[in-house]
Amino acid sequence: MIVAWYILLCLGTVVAQATFSAMLSINDVYPDLCLVLVCIIGFLTNEYKGLMIGLTMGLFQDLLAPGGIGLNMILKGLAGSLAGMTTHTISTITAQAVVIATLALSLVCGLASLIVAYPILDGWEAFHAILGNLVPQALYHSLLAAGIFWVIHKVRKAFGMVHSVQGRR
Amino acid sequence: MIRSEQSSFPLARGIRRLLVGVFILFLLFLLFLPRQSQEWLGHIGGPMAIILEGPLHVIAAIQGSVGETWDHYVALQNVWEENQSLQKEIQRLQGEQNQLREQAILAREFQKLSVYQATAPMTMMPARIIGRNVSNWYRAIVIDKGARDGIHAEMGAITDAGVVGRVVRVNPTTSIVLLLSDPNVAITGMIQTSRDEGIIQGTPQGNIHMKYLPPLSPVQIGDVVVTSGLTDDFPRGLHIGHIQQVTKAATDLFQSGEITPIVDFSKLEGVLVITSFQPTIANESPSSGESLPASETLR
Repeated sequence: MIVAWYILLCLGTVVAQATFSAMLSINDVYPDLCLVLVCIIGFLTNEYKGLMIGLTMGLFQDLLAPGGIGLNMILKGLAGSLAGMTTHTISTITAQAVVIATLALSLVCGLASLIVAYPILDGWEAFHAILGNLVPQALYHSLLAAGIFWVIHKVRKAFGMVHSVQGRR
Repeated sequence: MIRSEQSSFPLARGIRRLLVGVFILFLLFLLFLPRQSQEWLGHIGGPMAIILEGPLHVIAAIQGSVGETWDHYVALQNVWEENQSLQKEIQRLQGEQNQLREQAILAREFQKLSVYQATAPMTMMPARIIGRNVSNWYRAIVIDKGARDGIHAEMGAITDAGVVGRVVRVNPTTSIVLLLSDPNVAITGMIQTSRDEGIIQGTPQGNIHMKYLPPLSPVQIGDVVVTSGLTDDFPRGLHIGHIQQVTKAATDLFQSGEITPIVDFSKLEGVLVITSFQPTIANESPSSGESLPASETLR
């Protein structure tokens, strides 16, 4: 049953990304809702669930994206897995920790995407892409993730489920 | 104590009984008086009625207001229910109106596309945009036509205004069109007036550049850029945009320019996918402004 919910979540997120991401864009910076959600799921659960959900969401995303199948799948799986692993190293996952971790994951994923998606860019164009696209996107992702995480944390706290966001160290 | 009082006023008690008896007799007397005498009594009693009128009016007013309130309450109950149903009706009609307006806008868009489709010298298939930017590193749209509709990869996508992009992936019922503003799309274009050709390509920032323009090309800001028809996806003469900026560094072998696209990619509702065309000069669109002599065209 939980697997079905996760698959529905993945599908819903990809559909939302395809239809609503333009509405969420700020100054032509589009958020990757899938990446944000995969990171949050990784933080809230563990590296295995982060990996599996990341792979699934990335696969769905790849089916509707111009690049070949694999790029988003691998990157999202990696992001989910790494987000899950941070719970081992940080004693308590807070919104601040989510900001830093998501920023780092988004920068890594963005850099990999940039290299794979735009192999034809020269150094100057790549530099512009990093400054103009990658960094603003990573900042946006980290703030969005922190906001969503904060809301989820509050809800979980209200329902007495806050123990699961504590680190396992 | 009382008994002693009663016993001390025996006369008063007798008088009181007497007065009561007289009063009853008086009333009986009045009852049996002739009609005229009763009217006379009525004249006397009229002013006394004023004393009763006050409370009667007050009671009547209270009764009236209570009745009125009750009636209004009952009526308001009905009005409230009616109001609720009318509100719902208004909401439904507003939603319907909004949908109709949206459909009208879409219909207008598709009518323009269909008119263009009928007159343009190529076979095209209209498609509706159902998604955008699924992966935020590509500038792409998702259209509602796929392999089952005869769409293939590398087909060009346009609107009645100009070039939109190229189909890069085909699913059974959907296709992915990479926009002209994506760095992975490169098409051949030319300056309409000078006929100088170059490569048109997007940038990661979403701009469109025209590269490899001849160094001696008299390209100017505002020049119209059209497709050159050298690739298999677009026929010659389709509008791409106009030159916004020309750059030529001293060390560069070629000129390059920045293009303002004719199509606003963010406001697209539908596109036409070019399914087939004859890539010959004879089949060019007459409206593309290609009425130059063959010698000049082929220089």
